[in-house]
Amino acid sequence: MINRRSFLQSTVTAAAATALLPAFGNDALAQSKAAAIDNLLLFVPANPGGGWDQTARSMEQALKTAGLIKGAQVTNVGGAGGAVGLPQFVNQWKGRGNALMVAGMVMVGALITNKSPVKITQTVPIARLTGEFEVIVVPPDSPHKTLKDLAAAFKADPTKVSWAGGSAGGTDHILAGMIAKAAGGEAKKVAYVAYSGGGPAQAALLGNQVTCGVSGWGEFSEQIKAGKLRALAISADKRQPGIDVPTIKEQGLDVELYNWRGVFAPPGIKDTDKAVLIDLMTRMRGSPAWTEQLKTREWTDVFLAGDAYGKYLTEENTRIEAILKDLGLA
Amino acid sequence: METFSLLAGGFAVALQPINLMWALVGVTLGTAIGVLPGLGPALTIALLLPITFSVPPTAAFILFAGIYYGAMYGGSTTSILLNTPGESATIITALEGHKMAKQGRAAAALATAAIGSFVAGTIGTIGLTFLAPPLVEFALRFGPADYFSLMIVAFVAVSAVLGTSVLRGLTALAFGILLGLVGIDLQTGQARFTFGLPELLDGINVIVVAVGLFAVGETLYLAARPKVQASVMTLQGRAGMTKDDWKRSWKPWLRGSALGFPFGALPAGGAEVPTFISYFLEKKLSKKPEEFGHGAIEGVAGPEAANNASAAGVLVPMLALGLPTSATAAIMLSAFQSYGINPGPLLLQNQPELVWGLIASLYVGNVMLLVLNLPLVGLWAKILTIPAPWLYGGILVFATIGTYGISQSWVDLVLLYLIGGVGYLMRRFDFPTAPAVIGMILGPLAEQEFRRAMTISAGDMTTFVTRPLSLTLLVIAALLLLIPLAVRLRNRP
Amino acid sequence: MDRLRKPEVLLALGVIMLGIVALYETAEIPVSPMYAQVGPTLVAYIASGLLIALGLALLAQAWRGIWTSPPEETEAGFDLRAVGWLLLGLVLNIGLIGPLGFIPASVLLFACTARAFGSRRPGRDALIGLGFAAVAYFGFAQLLGINIGEGDLVVSLLEGLI
Repeated sequence: MINRRSFLQSTVTAAAATALLPAFGNDALAQSKAAAIDNLLLFVPANPGGGWDQTARSMEQALKTAGLIKGAQVTNVGGAGGAVGLPQFVNQWKGRGNALMVAGMVMVGALITNKSPVKITQTVPIARLTGEFEVIVVPPDSPHKTLKDLAAAFKADPTKVSWAGGSAGGTDHILAGMIAKAAGGEAKKVAYVAYSGGGPAQAALLGNQVTCGVSGWGEFSEQIKAGKLRALAISADKRQPGIDVPTIKEQGLDVELYNWRGVFAPPGIKDTDKAVLIDLMTRMRGSPAWTEQLKTREWTDVFLAGDAYGKYLTEENTRIEAILKDLGLA
Repeated sequence: METFSLLAGGFAVALQPINLMWALVGVTLGTAIGVLPGLGPALTIALLLPITFSVPPTAAFILFAGIYYGAMYGGSTTSILLNTPGESATIITALEGHKMAKQGRAAAALATAAIGSFVAGTIGTIGLTFLAPPLVEFALRFGPADYFSLMIVAFVAVSAVLGTSVLRGLTALAFGILLGLVGIDLQTGQARFTFGLPELLDGINVIVVAVGLFAVGETLYLAARPKVQASVMTLQGRAGMTKDDWKRSWKPWLRGSALGFPFGALPAGGAEVPTFISYFLEKKLSKKPEEFGHGAIEGVAGPEAANNASAAGVLVPMLALGLPTSATAAIMLSAFQSYGINPGPLLLQNQPELVWGLIASLYVGNVMLLVLNLPLVGLWAKILTIPAPWLYGGILVFATIGTYGISQSWVDLVLLYLIGGVGYLMRRFDFPTAPAVIGMILGPLAEQEFRRAMTISAGDMTTFVTRPLSLTLLVIAALLLLIPLAVRLRNRP
Repeated sequence: MDRLRKPEVLLALGVIMLGIVALYETAEIPVSPMYAQVGPTLVAYIASGLLIALGLALLAQAWRGIWTSPPEETEAGFDLRAVGWLLLGLVLNIGLIGPLGFIPASVLLFACTARAFGSRRPGRDALIGLGFAAVAYFGFAQLLGINIGEGDLVVSLLEGLI
């Protein structure tokens, strides 16, 4: 576990803060919302540097700039797509009203493939914050000009079309399976070549070693702009401003996928705490500081809070489980 | 030449007092974290990412590059002194380096490592300055089949560390390969050998295994033998390198650099593999191969040069194409993003001041590291005069920091000590420990590339011989294996 | 059977056992019907099979007396007491680093190890261990913000006090 700044100090402050709270009474509580989360605890079930960690840092930055919190502590517990961190969050962080876990779609998939006994539904969903759409690319001299060409080639002989992307069962693999299925093929037949990072996967594409590649837009965008890779389709629901790439839906395949990230509170928190956290996220989303963070990181705003988010989570779980079954992974 | 004027511009940036200060902070911090097993440059830079909110990009990257180069220096220090490799790329250094230290030649080992690192770092940085575009083009030609054949060459190099019995050496290798398989399989997402423990899903950290086998194993072994207990290592002769040491070191430095730099530039080459091959090469080329395994200075000089040159090589695809090919490079690229700079093929055109400032600061950082490390060599070596009870107590506490600090899981500590127990048995029954660690690194690399190649070729095995690069590498592997055999047969009366 | 008591024979049997466990675990890996031309089990089967074969070869060597320990190993004996102290230190470290934190656990590990290596002054050893652990803890851990364990028990005790 890695803590920025002393964990002890934060716990003491938090304990002091919660001890003071009951004295305020309910009316006072509504006015002292900002004071209630002087010190936000952010739990990241991944190692520093990854997508969830960056989300946590951006949140800390935006919340502080907007004056919504005084400080935040980020704790990283990495491993297995969040399957190591989640049990700790659910058990040891139970009832902490000022704590949020940053996670997302990758965790939903990882929990299913790892057959984790702890479920994401054991947490309290607070808000969905950001989404990153995916892109399908080919090397510039590839014979496939559109997604239809690629789908047709896959249908003709799936073994001849190799797909490079991140680890098996991850977002990239899931999208490849969805495209294969929508094109009338079998998800299991996708000749998927997994790479442990964006760099080696890009190198395989630039060196013409594989037929096509699937990854987050941010991973490939610079290569696409430089003309080193050709984008065939993006997995967003509609055309994106400034990006001259058609969506998958436009090309006749009913597939849409966002690698979304959101925040969750630990189980056992009070309803008032939940309301305060949802309010905090809603206010952060409305702040210019957050808009700025979204822009620099090229994240799409897919804000969804409270019970609507909880419902979405259940649906997403079912959807991903079905795709992973199709891929032979669940 | 245009490159020179750009580089001069870079030096103008790097030599500004404030940037010199950042470089100094970086190399010092890097050396410190390099010393700690388990704590690497990638994690340190990730922890320092928030700094990007408050300092300009050039300063941040000069700091990060200093940490990166510094860690490579620091890792070798503990390999040599305590048999506790700080970084996976310095595991091989421990083989001969620690033997030298036990003979009282720690200062010479540290000096050849430091100077070799300086030579290799400088050669690598020169390579980065002038050769980046053509090298990247060549590196991209490597597909999974070619990488697999390259790993076969590296497997042949394991023969240099098999020890007195081929049978026991191979047993250690097979054990290492099994350890390397633990965790979720990247290609199919299935868990292997995890025994239901979530802590094992991401695999076992190679540093835990190296520290367990080398340091904890040795501590147990020495404790179990009453007679050697009292022995305190002594320092012999002059601190530093003799004339003979220089003579035996300079060629391995150059060969190690020539090997490490292109390896680092390969997107899936790995920083460890060139150190294995360098060790093998030096043993084969040495006039005194019998000294290997007993403290041969070439076995420190070559691999150390290889690992530092590969560190420079890793920056080639990162700066030329925006490709992060190692964990550290990936974190550095995410730092670019928090400045709104998009690292990509156009990075050099869009941010020339930043890139050339960074390259120039690598030259500066290298000089700083040499100046920092060389005078300290004598001081470091004195660590070994600490009485055994405290030295080994310290080593065990030290091993704990890296293992427990990262994961805060007692499972990792149990693993470290269990592997230490295996290390004890291996030492007691004369099994070499190096093949186990090498097998653990090479096994998964070879397996993943083999399976990628087979997925791409739709199960056609001929892909390994129809691709020219792959075929060439396989022929090299066969020659390396067969020539010594042929020579031995011919010399038979 | 005197041969069975030879440590080399036992070790070879251990290698074979390890190979068999690995083989069994490999058979447990689910092979999903997938695109991958080569599944997750091939290399696992090769490695565990290799370990069994090498273990058998080692057993044959040990049995026939080709593989024996050099006399300096067998004559050196085994210092049970020292190893006992060392193991005690390791076990204490594993058990206490969570509840008590890094520094106390390290001090005990340091003192036990020093005892194993023949030191007879536990108080002095503990003090040196404390100095070393404190430098490591505050120098590396706190400076970089890496939490290597304040001790859960200590934290909750302090929380209880407030």
